[in-house]
Amino acid sequence: MLRMEIALFLVMAMVACIYFTAEKEKTSLHRTFEVMLVTVMIHLVFDGITVYTVNHLDLVPKLLNDAFHRLFIGTMILIFFLFYQYISILVVEEAGEKSSLGKLPAVFLFVAELGNLLLPVHYAVTPAGNYSDGIHVVFCYLSLGFYFVLGSGMLLSNRKKIQKRRRIAIEIAIVVELVVTCLQGYNHTWLISGMGITLITLAFYLILENPDILRAEIVEQKMSMLYLKSQVNPHFLYNTLDTIRIQAQLHGDQKGADLLMDLVDFFRLSVKVDRPLVTLDDEMELLEAYMELMCYRYPELSCEYDIDPDLGGVSVPNFILQPMVENSLLHGLKNKGYKGEIKISAKTTPDRKLLIAIRDTGSGFAPGKKAIIDDMLENYSKQKSKLTGNSIGVLNVQKRIKLLCGREFGLSYTENEGGGVTANILLPLWEDERL
Amino acid sequence: MKKLRVLLVDDEIMIREGFKKLFDWKAHDCEVVGEAADGMEALTKIDSLLPDIVIMDINIPIMNGLKVIQMSKIKHPEMAFIIVSGYDDFAYCREALRLQITDYILKPVNYEEFGTCIDNMKIARFKSTHEETRNLGEERTIHGLTRYLQEHLKEEISLSVLAEEFHLNPQYISQLFKNEIGVNFLTYLTNIRLEHAKKLLISTSLPIAEVSEQSGYGDYRVFTKVFKKNEGITPSQYRKALWNEGN
Repeated sequence: MLRMEIALFLVMAMVACIYFTAEKEKTSLHRTFEVMLVTVMIHLVFDGITVYTVNHLDLVPKLLNDAFHRLFIGTMILIFFLFYQYISILVVEEAGEKSSLGKLPAVFLFVAELGNLLLPVHYAVTPAGNYSDGIHVVFCYLSLGFYFVLGSGMLLSNRKKIQKRRRIAIEIAIVVELVVTCLQGYNHTWLISGMGITLITLAFYLILENPDILRAEIVEQKMSMLYLKSQVNPHFLYNTLDTIRIQAQLHGDQKGADLLMDLVDFFRLSVKVDRPLVTLDDEMELLEAYMELMCYRYPELSCEYDIDPDLGGVSVPNFILQPMVENSLLHGLKNKGYKGEIKISAKTTPDRKLLIAIRDTGSGFAPGKKAIIDDMLENYSKQKSKLTGNSIGVLNVQKRIKLLCGREFGLSYTENEGGGVTANILLPLWEDERL
Repeated sequence: MKKLRVLLVDDEIMIREGFKKLFDWKAHDCEVVGEAADGMEALTKIDSLLPDIVIMDINIPIMNGLKVIQMSKIKHPEMAFIIVSGYDDFAYCREALRLQITDYILKPVNYEEFGTCIDNMKIARFKSTHEETRNLGEERTIHGLTRYLQEHLKEEISLSVLAEEFHLNPQYISQLFKNEIGVNFLTYLTNIRLEHAKKLLISTSLPIAEVSEQSGYGDYRVFTKVFKKNEGITPSQYRKALWNEGN
């Protein structure tokens, strides 16, 4: 029997090895999984030890035997609590519904662990092997059952809202655990609970965004950015443009020189696209250069900024504002003959997030169009990224925000009362030096 | 005030032409006395012309600009070097700072920004000579004026306020600044206000609007704009860059 525990431990160790060496942004789901992974490994060690000690009651002192047994059961209760915790986070993330139970499950964890520590342990000795029974085991298994029912119930009541692939993986894991528990209940000496726990953890690992897939996605995003950097050496491009600018100014063409300066600024700043994060001020500088040029080309176009100056140093994903504004111009203001205004504002929300709004006075959404875009932004992960013409596109912006900042952030559109639309970009308020 | 002699070093003729003709040297009491297109030529001309200021590109043939500065600094420690480079690269910037250059500006050169850079250099020179003369116990009118400005920079100050306070003619004060420091009154005021603001940005965590207020700018938008024009970056970028470096 001990061999099984060793094998399971090795499987978990391998998962841990792959998981912890991958680079990624960590969400609360990841953090819960990390704790679970480590606890499962510790649990399997105690599982292995108790399989030996429980069958050698005469060799091992009772005190030591009890201690190992309590540690084995104690980690198991913690794991079941984490299972429940994981499912509840998943439900909140996918369905957006908070559990109505509040702190109750966490409080119960304390009660269950206390019971595990204090209740007397008793061992049943049979020819097929030994196992523990009595009040300690009954109490502890009831606690496990509590979390199991709570977790499964939560999953089942929200099953429609959870992504199919994830739901099925967890459901299979739950059925496996149920079967394992029944078998264990039928034959007490089999001691196979470790197998069920390992399988559930594996299922959770598989549905957690696979780190390698995530990495591949970031590479793909980078590639499409590099494509935009164009095949020309950017230094050559802006050095040459600068020479032309000086030439224009030497010939007394100040306006031409100014426009070339804006264009050079625009290129110089977009050369920085290989950095994932920049400051909001960097983004604004790029945007201002772009708008300066566009407003010159279309004199009836105007632009207004309302940026809280203390937000200038906040880190934001690179190259998100200009594509959004370009989108507003092409889909909103172009239809009105480029006549109108774009207003960009940045402020802090009451729950300490950064909200950037790009408001235009354009033609607004065509009937039915908003639903299509909302759906596209909602299901961003299922869409194929495409590069249409020179525009990076809204979808690309959405994908990068979700990848870099987390799934609670991102992009959404609202329609203005007086016509036109507002693009709302919700970002974390990252003031530390992530650059 | 004596005219400052300038040497231009850049391998592109158009960049040198631009500097020569598009920047108003006269208004800044400067004159271009020579040009060089590579590192060797720059070294020779620095030794023969003995300019006050060298405008230096980094990426030039034969010997790079940083090397030229390093070698010239040994022989002429008083010479001011202003680096003009297209390389938006921190490694260069760090090395340039180690050489104690006067300023570092990025291509494409905004001639207005370049003018500010020359003005700041003059003010820095004035301040350092002021330190010397103060030790000798001399106190001149201009020093009284600048001290008054330093103490009242939070308030609204103009030439006429200053004139009333010191019982002098505003025109005379204006001329005094031009003669003694080489910059006009408003440039000097902006300079000390921004110096104060920079100190506050680094040493305190006051919000930008508060820093702006304490540096004599009632409207933070104006402050941000002036700061950006003079320093090339916004106040929050400045704070962030220096805090990060400190860590």
